[in-house]
Amino acid sequence: MIDRTEASKYLVGKLKDELVVTSLANEKYDLQSCGDRARNFYNWNAMGMASSLGLGLAMARPELKVIVYDGDGSLLMNLGSLTTIASREPKNLIHIVWDNRSYAMTGGQPTATAFHTDLAKVAEGAGYPKVERVETLAAFRQAADRALKEPGPWFIHCLMEEKPVKGGGLPSPTAIKQRFMDALGVHH
Amino acid sequence: MAWAESIVSVLRKNNVRFLNYVPDTKIEKILEAARQLGGFEVLPLAREEEGIGVVCGQAIGGGRGVLLCPTAGLGNSINALASLAIPYRIPCPIIIGVRGDLGEFNPAQVMMGQATQDILGALRIPTYRITREDETEKLTDGALRICYASEGPVAILVTNELAGWKEGKERK
Repeated sequence: MIDRTEASKYLVGKLKDELVVTSLANEKYDLQSCGDRARNFYNWNAMGMASSLGLGLAMARPELKVIVYDGDGSLLMNLGSLTTIASREPKNLIHIVWDNRSYAMTGGQPTATAFHTDLAKVAEGAGYPKVERVETLAAFRQAADRALKEPGPWFIHCLMEEKPVKGGGLPSPTAIKQRFMDALGVHH
Repeated sequence: MAWAESIVSVLRKNNVRFLNYVPDTKIEKILEAARQLGGFEVLPLAREEEGIGVVCGQAIGGGRGVLLCPTAGLGNSINALASLAIPYRIPCPIIIGVRGDLGEFNPAQVMMGQATQDILGALRIPTYRITREDETEKLTDGALRICYASEGPVAILVTNELAGWKEGKERK
């Protein structure tokens, strides 16, 4: 089982101009505390929307890698987006899913992945061409390194152990958006 | 369909590149006009809620997209509007093919069709109903202007008065 904070530190250390969008869950705090950056778009409460936001962003900015920092509960709410992404096949998309088999923010109730659902198989079935399932930090590093170099869309299913997260406290939604768009030098 | 061509030419004039959709007979007329004009990137969605996320992602990346969907699909999109497009102030134009209104044959379309404007009103989303071909250009252009000025969602309703109703199998 992977320590998500350690993995996030590794990933953030590798990032240059990549764009990152998060789910509403705890993975966003790991990302923020491991190195806040203007090119991170933190999601306050848009349930299930990380993968769709990432697809839109990948379409608008095909020259940049777009990383979706997702969770099992969040993705389960928008599984259809896997079929949309696989059909569109954005080569610059890296979909990282942190699977703790629970709704950690609401008391640890089990998600479907605590029972029979395997999200890597779901992504394969949806048609993602590059799917990795990782259970160790070393395997995560290897998968992340490849995904940052090679065309996707990638789906990296990370089995993790839930631990209390540090950090927290996000800027306002409009501040997050404005900082992100300023970093890209774009406006509406 | 002159109204569909008007909508598409106004989208072009406003630099809209991405047409993200869940199909409907009215939406198909717009897509057909867009295929004729060319130069759009078209994305089929599995569910309308995805479309709100996709349009918002395109917008924060500096690209302009719209969501095209039927009234029932607006119902599938509400929390994404309330938790993403509205609080982050992201322009999100939604072109809605009206069902459940004048001439409707399907009883299960009626509630959502009739509730659409109240739901949009509850979310304070500016809403424009196109009922005549000769007002299509003005209403679509004006709706897009307020959308980008206010940085939020705006709804354009393509009504049955404008585009006709769908014929279907009547109830026994």
